[in-house]
Amino acid sequence: MALKDQTPTETLDVLGRVCPYPLVLTKKQLEKMASGSILKILCDAPASAEDSIPRFAEKQGYEFESVKLEDKGYWELYIKKS
Amino acid sequence: MATKRLGFIVRSLPYKTEASRLAMTHAIASQTVEIYLEDGDMVEPVVCFIGDGVLNCLKSQQAMKHYGITSLEQHVKNGLLLDLKIMICKEDIEKLGIKEDSLIMDAEDIGGETKAQIVPYSEIQKEMDSVDHLLFC
Repeated sequence: MALKDQTPTETLDVLGRVCPYPLVLTKKQLEKMASGSILKILCDAPASAEDSIPRFAEKQGYEFESVKLEDKGYWELYIKKS
Repeated sequence: MATKRLGFIVRSLPYKTEASRLAMTHAIASQTVEIYLEDGDMVEPVVCFIGDGVLNCLKSQQAMKHYGITSLEQHVKNGLLLDLKIMICKEDIEKLGIKEDSLIMDAEDIGGETKAQIVPYSEIQKEMDSVDHLLFC
């Protein structure tokens, strides 16, 4: 099942924050979460949503999905901590 | 696998210079560079305010009112929110007659858990001796 169709363990709202805050806050939140849990991130900073957070997830080997909500002007990012 | 420790030593006044602002933004941004490094390599910044630089840590700054820019107060709080190690020189705040309750010691109002530390200069000197790179601002 896609990550976006699962109930997230936590939701992190970083709307209005620009790089590097979304990435660092994401890392900080994931450190507190258990393996197997899913973090949903609301982010409207393109550099973070399209580059740094996906790159971080890939490097950590975490499952990642991104949904761009064109009408709302932000992304919903999903990371499953492994 | 290695951790590179960066020491930002802030000696500049908060306004009419970009120095202390750049120190804070670089220290905060340095926490993201891990994504570009080899696996296991990390960067750990520490920010030390000494001399006139301790004035960056004062509460109730009026940067937006007078200069139209965001205050260093918010930068310091953001640093604490992101668990940045922030040290303030004890001797220098005493020399300037600044009390601890005039300083930004936490960022609880924005969800921060880390607190700033007021330490003797000898502690900052130890920190400066232990880091891999020193940056004076």
